[in-house]
Amino acid sequence: MTITLTVNREERIFSGDPRTPLVDVLRDHLRMTGTKAVCREGFCGACMVHVDGAPMASCLLPVGSLDGAAVTTIEGVATMEHLNAVQQAFEDHDVVQCGMCFPGMVMTMSRLFQTNTSPDRDEIKAAMTGNICRCTGYERIIDALMSIRTNEVTS
Amino acid sequence: MDITPYPKLFLANDLNEALRALRELADSAIPLAGATWVMRAPLRCETADRTLIDLSRIEALRTINIDQQEAVIGALATHEQIANALNGYNDLAALAQAAGHSANPAIRRMATIGGNICTAEFAAADLVPALLALDARLEIEGLDGSRTQTMAAFLEARATRAHTDLVTRLIIPRTQRTSTHARLTLRKAGDYPVANLSVSIALGAGGKISAATVAVGAVEAVAKRWTGFEEAIIGHAPSPEKMQMIAKTCLEEFDGRDAMDAPGWYRLRVLTGLVANAFSTLQETTLGRAM
Repeated sequence: MTITLTVNREERIFSGDPRTPLVDVLRDHLRMTGTKAVCREGFCGACMVHVDGAPMASCLLPVGSLDGAAVTTIEGVATMEHLNAVQQAFEDHDVVQCGMCFPGMVMTMSRLFQTNTSPDRDEIKAAMTGNICRCTGYERIIDALMSIRTNEVTS
Repeated sequence: MDITPYPKLFLANDLNEALRALRELADSAIPLAGATWVMRAPLRCETADRTLIDLSRIEALRTINIDQQEAVIGALATHEQIANALNGYNDLAALAQAAGHSANPAIRRMATIGGNICTAEFAAADLVPALLALDARLEIEGLDGSRTQTMAAFLEARATRAHTDLVTRLIIPRTQRTSTHARLTLRKAGDYPVANLSVSIALGAGGKISAATVAVGAVEAVAKRWTGFEEAIIGHAPSPEKMQMIAKTCLEEFDGRDAMDAPGWYRLRVLTGLVANAFSTLQETTLGRAM
């Protein structure tokens, strides 16, 4: 079974076991290691990617179900020259600690700011429920996100 | 049996295709709805090399229709879709709240109502007690035809049912009642409940409870109606304190489930607190306006 995906706007083909979780296809076959495989049960958020625009836990997605889908990973959410607003806020507020959770945090929160340009603190916390920071940097992360509440939609 | 026409993940284009594949592959296949349980099989040390019959392309199973008589929810409707579609309906609030607070946003975006109720090994499902409390019926289709079944009857046979039939729709009668769902997790959010509870009540003369359906999940291996409590609260005002007092006298119906997240005695201990929480929510929302 051959599966065709668009990953970060490039067409990619996978010919292995269609039950393989998307996170393993990204990391092991496409060498996109920004997406992290941590809990593998959809609870930590480190493997979050966008599938057809929606943040999804890639550890729970069999790649065979995604034939024809558009996937965006942390490598494709912005460019090195122009970080998106969430990435820029995290850097400006120096909130990145070990870094394991941050790709997933960026993917979840970028989508939040696309759908709600001015979320309050509780809305940010609710959206972040599925992204666990083992360094427990939550309040500083939320402070950084609060700083970008504007009418500008993130890329 | 020749199973070579099927790849290890078979994308069914319609219900008949899925049912045919499930019948032909029998125990070597499993339906795939939201994938949130099946894809975690390796973490449960399940090593069966089964073909996944992916139902996600069967659009007809995603629809949600609500009218004055009933709410009909396709088995592939996600928790997120259900929470959004049922928002604002007092009688359906238990299901809306159960769907809107389970697990975390990413799981709610994937996990389906069909998968939630068909997974016999998952004792802490939030939707199951809500559907019991709302008196839901299931529509089940097989190659030999379709039938409907009550939630209670389905749950009784669930652990041993063959996967050759598929739950296709949930049918919930609309009522003049009000309902709510309460759950206790060990972490504040993003966790499975150690106990959960759905309540649906009608008020009669003087604001007293005239009818009640209450269901409890996670406390035992399979969610069930709390019939002793339902009967005991008839004729009482729905104050949280009174309801909690009555609940304490009705706990003998349960045999608490010991599991890694919590011992059985703890689930029973917190259940009466969940009763108080549920009736507080009802008072603060719908009952507060009605009384």
